[in-house]
This record gives sequence, structure tokens and C-alpha cells, in this order.
Amino acid sequence: MSEKSLGKKLGLFKILIIAKKAGRVTRKYPFEKPLVTDEFRGKIEIDEKECIGCGACANACPPNALKLIKGENTFILQYFIGRCIYCWRCIDVCPTNAIKGTREFELATPDLNDLYESVVHDVIKCRECSKPIMTVKAKDYIISKVSVSENYIDLDPDCRKKHFLSSIEKRFSGGIE
Amino acid sequence: MSLEYLKKSIWVFHLNTGSCNACDIEVLDVLTPYFDAERFGVKLVVSPRHADAILLTGPITYESLPKVVKAIESAPRPRIIIALGSCACGGGIWYDTYSTIGGVPELLKILKEHNIEVDGVYYVPGCPVRPESIIYAIGLFKGLVEKKVKRKVKKAGF
Amino acid sequence: MNNDYIEKVITELKARGASDISVSHDTIFVSVESDKLRSLVEYIHNELDCYFRTCGGCDERPINGFFALYHIFGDDKHGLNIVVKTYASSDDPKFPTIVDIVPAADWCEMEAHDLLGFEFTGRRQYRLVLPPNWPKGLYPLRKEVPYNIRPKPSTSGEQISKPTNIAAIPIGPYHPALHEPEYFELYIEGEKVVDVKYRGFHVHRGIEKLGETRMTYQQINFLAERICGICGFVHSTCYCQAVEKAARIDVPERALFIRSIVLEVERIHSHLLWVGVAAHLLGYDTGFMHTWRIREPVMVLAELLTGSRKTYGINLIGGVRRDIDESKKKKALEFLDIVEREFKTLADTLLSIPQIKKRLKETGILPKEDARKLSVVGPVARASGLDRDVRRDLPYAAYKYVDFNVPVYDEGDNMARLLVRVDEVFESIKILRQLLDQIPKGPIIAEDITIPEERMAVSLTEAPRGENVHFVITGRGKPYRWKVRAPSYQNIPALKIMLNGVQLADAPITIASIDPCFSCTDRILVIRDNGEKYWLKLTHPRGGSSCPRSL
Repeated sequence: MSEKSLGKKLGLFKILIIAKKAGRVTRKYPFEKPLVTDEFRGKIEIDEKECIGCGACANACPPNALKLIKGENTFILQYFIGRCIYCWRCIDVCPTNAIKGTREFELATPDLNDLYESVVHDVIKCRECSKPIMTVKAKDYIISKVSVSENYIDLDPDCRKKHFLSSIEKRFSGGIE
Repeated sequence: MSLEYLKKSIWVFHLNTGSCNACDIEVLDVLTPYFDAERFGVKLVVSPRHADAILLTGPITYESLPKVVKAIESAPRPRIIIALGSCACGGGIWYDTYSTIGGVPELLKILKEHNIEVDGVYYVPGCPVRPESIIYAIGLFKGLVEKKVKRKVKKAGF
Repeated sequence: MNNDYIEKVITELKARGASDISVSHDTIFVSVESDKLRSLVEYIHNELDCYFRTCGGCDERPINGFFALYHIFGDDKHGLNIVVKTYASSDDPKFPTIVDIVPAADWCEMEAHDLLGFEFTGRRQYRLVLPPNWPKGLYPLRKEVPYNIRPKPSTSGEQISKPTNIAAIPIGPYHPALHEPEYFELYIEGEKVVDVKYRGFHVHRGIEKLGETRMTYQQINFLAERICGICGFVHSTCYCQAVEKAARIDVPERALFIRSIVLEVERIHSHLLWVGVAAHLLGYDTGFMHTWRIREPVMVLAELLTGSRKTYGINLIGGVRRDIDESKKKKALEFLDIVEREFKTLADTLLSIPQIKKRLKETGILPKEDARKLSVVGPVARASGLDRDVRRDLPYAAYKYVDFNVPVYDEGDNMARLLVRVDEVFESIKILRQLLDQIPKGPIIAEDITIPEERMAVSLTEAPRGENVHFVITGRGKPYRWKVRAPSYQNIPALKIMLNGVQLADAPITIASIDPCFSCTDRILVIRDNGEKYWLKLTHPRGGSSCPRSL
């Protein structure tokens, strides 16, 4: 009999024909490769040679999984894998393409401390008040793009304001202080 | 209590503490023919009193906190909690709003205050969790696969 | 758009006291004094035959020193939205209620009462949204309250109410038939259900407040996608459309087509999921396993097009982030052929089983007049004879370039709701084939994205569960007010009518037939029983007791 008339005769038992046609579809993961396409968005990797510690990724991250922790002598970029939502917005906004996306999803662990990755940067300090301003690599990046900034880049914003106001005052008073 | 009693088939109870349901339909997807968790002996049970492991999804909300504590307390020892997804591991995208607790790390502090002990916690990040990630977590617990993530501290170089 | 019709409507509204009228795209904005609100609402709801969409409050004291309340109505036949705004003074926010004219406005008003502290005169007020032991006087949506304020949580829950003369069956919050925490109490006599008490709201996460404080415009796309895991892309698209309407951004055509393609893929996956869960609740586990086996290629297709199996994350204001090339198009068409062939065979087999036909026919009936009064949406409305579909009435994205049918059935029982969803899967496959064929070339994101302040917009989309409304008032760098109304919010009060007189064994499938998505809803409701009122004393010292007046 053809399949259609057999199906009409069987009625609800047609499910047996459907099951036989489908066969066995189980993938024997983890002993076989998983069903992942090339487009999948997994964990990110931060390249410590390219990262300049600017904090653009920390600004753009919706759940704040990337944080720029500002200390006295170091700035630390901390990536918490546990809170990441794998949206790859940080990759869109990084100015030096230091963040790369991978296809890893096998991230289970019994210890919460395994889920933190950090990149440690050295900082430059203000020449007047010794407050930390930005990382050394960010300073080099800015000077390479705008060379005139070398004159005032080692002043923090408040000291820069004071210098600017005093130089205006000097100009109006004819150079006499 | 030692976890050696739990090396064969693990019976799990699915506990949704206020999640958006993406992780929950992936939990149901693990039972369907393409992934089939029953190869490992894992079964979804109807009551926490029959469960060995509790699959927790969602950032725990204020409204559901008393019921979650009651459900965890009624699971018999030895019991483990598997925290699925970025909401459970670290609070998710709403880790500091007025209506959520902030995920499993904060829940463990509250359980300690009430003298409820949990014998092990497993964290599975993902948003949403892939069905293969859940199978990987079960395989890690049973000793079939090796752990891949590790804490890294790198110094910025040139 | 019929300009004469809009002119006529504006003249009538002016005659009833409306002022400050402006028209933009397909929305009419009016303001009215609070004493003339009720007569205006009666004209719009009864004589213009508009449906009620939602109402939301807003704290505008930093701008003009008042509290404001916005009511949004919609006219599907002419493709219009009407937004009515009233004010109240900042030291005494009192508004007149419209619940007797528009029964569908019940919970929206109580939500504003809970989160903003508004008082509604002329009705009974109760706590709806926040947990029972939340401190009084702390209103999270007011502008001076920070978003991360956290009172100490309590670990003692409320007790089940125990009425003496009727049996009560508690279902939930954690139950094998449910996948989300929600709490139903069914009151039964013998085997028939006579009434229902529902307490949900375990999934309130503070999304609207978060969108106004910590997040910027482009970050809220990812937040909106996680309102619901099953219909998330619809929320993200609706938010983007509202901001694009308010800021008058021109989205390129190719981006609109890509958005529509992903929306239809999501609709197919959601309906197949529902058919599987319905088969499981009826006891037919084989059907559940086979339906989800057929659904798996749709998830692989979504991962191929967008990058993730769920919560796609490709929407940005002004366009999309990922493109579709020729090889993906070919693969998509192959997958669609496989899914269509297999699902047709399976649906025929499923509907030929006599036990399923008997259980689904004539149970859980929702008559047409009740459906109109409660303004239900989606497949629930289409199964009760109301012909409403946002994709055809107010076309958005690329739906004006395709043609498709809208299935409407008249019976209003569980079988009609199943048939509407099965038909919609095949319609979606037809739409997808047309879209993939006609996709134009061009950029995928707009060049210039600047969003000015103090503009308002309403946008609608058709989720798999019904119509979705987002209302945005823009601010600087982030929205000033963002209101979301999900489709399940409108459909749940229909449960009170559907569950009346149903056998206990048919209760789970009736509840599931409206396809409730409680994480979209995130509200609490106390269902009243034809005028008799339940006093749900949630702040009672013993943890909550409810004494129904009469049953």
C-alpha cells in the first residue's frame, strides 16, 4: 500500500510511521562533537598586549561584568564570566580591537573564584598633586593620535583647569604676575 | 556529608526563582531527543523531597525568597545546588535592583543564617545556558570531563 | 491614514474638553482636566469603539511640578492610537477611576497606586505589585528613590487561606505542571471549578526603574530582550521602534527585513513549543517529544542567523548588528521545507486522536462579548471571533510588503485556540518565504543617531501571544519613562470566565491555552467574582489571610 492510504487506515497510529522515519537523532555529547554553528557567541578573550585600559568596554557593558577598578598604583580591568550575557558589545566599542570573541561555552565550575579574569595596568600620576590619572598605555595611545597633548597629559583635570585659568590671567595682565 | 553517595544517577528538581524562562525551556530541551539527559540517569522529579540536586534559575526575587528557602530545606541531605545561567551565578543584568537578592552567592549567606547547609554548589554561566552546558556540568560532577576555566591574572604588556 | 477621520475625531474630542492636541505618525496626543476625564473616556471607549491598551503613571515633578497619568486607547479599524493625559498636584496625587467604564483598566491603576503612590477615587484599592512586607511609603518609581535601595528581605511566606465550606486546591508556586512560579487556588465543588484566586508576581525584577537610571539608550535593547525568554525579540523590536518614532530616525529597508525575518522565526519556535507543552499537559508525551524534535532545526536556524539560540541580541536603535548572506538564505529555505513537511504530518496525527478531540472541544469557553469587554489580545481573541492582528492593522517593519491570512474561529473553546496557533505556523512559513525572496540591498544601520529630549511615542508589535505595547518619553542619554505592557497581562483576567464550570482535570490545559508568560506579566492580581469582593489582607500579622465574603 502507498504511505498515504496506510496513514489513513492507521489514523492515530501513524505516529509509529513518523517515529520510524525520524530514527535516532541523539548526539552523544560529551563523547562526540556538539551541535554548534560558526556564528555562536561564547566567552571573550582580552589580549593584554593590545589593551590600553581606557574603560570603554566597562562603560558599554549592560550588566557591568567588565569593571575598571581604579586603585592608587594600578588600574585593574576585571572580567566576571558569571555575570556576562555574551552580547559582544565590548568587542564593538574597543578602540584597539583588544577583545576577541571565542566559541567556548564549557564554563562550569564548583569554585566561584575561577570565573574572574583580570588585566593589571600601571598608571601615571599627576605632576602636581600625585593623583592617578590614566594608564601608561592609554597615555601612549593618546600621544600617538594627538601629539600636542604631550604638554598637558600628565596633569589631572583639576590641575589642568588651574593652569589654564592662570595662563589666561597672565595674557590679560600683559605677562606680569 | 560526603558526596560519594551521589555518584550514580542524580535526580534533579527544577526551581525557577523569577527568571525570564529562557534557561527553563533549555532545561526542558535537555530531555528531548537531540540531547537526552536520561542517558546519564538524570530524571526530572516532581517534588524537592525526592531530589538530589536542585537546578536553580533566576535572580532570586523578594517575593519568591520564602518559598525558595522552604523548597531547599525540604530536599534531603546530601544535596547540591546547580546555579544555571548568569542570573543565578552573579545576579545577571539586574544584580542590584530593588526587587532582587542578587543570585546564589547572596542566597548562600541567607541560608547560613538559618542554619541550612548545602553540600556543594556548581556554577554554570551562560545567557541562556546551552543544553550542552548543562550536560557538561553533570559530566563534571560525575567525573567524566575535566574542568576548563581557571582564574587568570595577566599583566598588561607591550 | 484617513485625514478626514482624524479631523472629525479631533473636533469631537475638543467639544468634550480636550486641549493641547497634537498628531504625530499614527498617534493623537490630548490632555484633559481630571474632572472631564470620565466623559472623554466613555466617548472614546463606547462610541468610537476603541480598545483599551494600557495606562501608566509618570513622575514629572522635575519638569513641571505635577504627577501625570497616561491612558492609551487604540482603534484597530483605522490604525490609530489615542493617548489621553491628566495631571494631579504633587502633594496630593488623586485621580478619578475609569474601572466601571473600562473593566480592563483594573490592574494598570493598581500598579500606579503601588509603584508611584497615586490614589484613585471611587474604587477599592489593594496592594498589587510589591511583596507584602515592603515598607509603606517607599514608592520605587518616584524620581528621588534610588534604584538599588534594598529593605531587608523576609523568609516567612504567607499561609494558604482556608475557607470552611468549600474545598480549595492550591497549585504552585512550584508544581510539576508549571514552569514558572505562580500560585493558583482553585475552589471546587465536587469536580467542577467554581472560582479561582491567583497570586503571581514572583517575577517582578524592577525593569522599568532600571531603564530610567543605570542604563543608556543602546543598553536597554539587551534589557528588553530579557523581559521574556520566549518572546524576547518582540520586546526589543518594540522598544527600538518607539525610540525611532520619537526621534524620527530613518531605518534602512534591509534592517527592517532582517528584523521581520527573525520575528517570524521566533513565532514559529514559540508556537511549536506551545503545542508540545499542551500535548504534555493532556498526557500525550509522545507528541511532546516529537514536536520538540521538529522544533530543534528552528533553534539551529536562529543560531545561524543571529548568533545565539535565544535572546538574540542583534537589535540596535537605528538598525541591526548582523547581516544575512546567500549561503544562510539557502540553508534557511531548506530548514523551512523540512519543518513544514514534518509538522503537517504530526498535526494531522495529533488532531485525529479521539481522546484529544473530546477533551479540547467545548471546554474553557470565552464568549465574544466578554472578550470585547476585557480587550483580550492575540490567539485568544482570534479564537473568540475578534479579528485583531497588529501586523495587518498597524503595519510595522516589513509587513506591508507581504500578504498573509489571519485565521479567525468563532467557538472560543480550547480546540479553537489550538487550531489558531497551528494555522499561524503555516502562515509564518509562507511569510518567511516571501521575505527571504524580496530582501533588498543596502546598509543595515542608520548613519546618524541623535535622540532629542522630551518626545513621546507609542509602538505596537504582534508577539506570539498577542499585542505588545511600549510607551517611551525620551530624556537625556536614557529614557525619562518607559512603560511596557505585555500581552499576557490583558489575557489573564479572562481566566476567571474560562475556568467557570470546568472539570478539575481540564483546568491545567485551560490555563495553558491562553499561553501565559508570567515573566512578561510580572504583576499580582486578585480575581473578583462578579461584584463580590475578596479582601486579601496581605499585611496581616499572621502572614496573610483572605476571608472571601461569599462564594
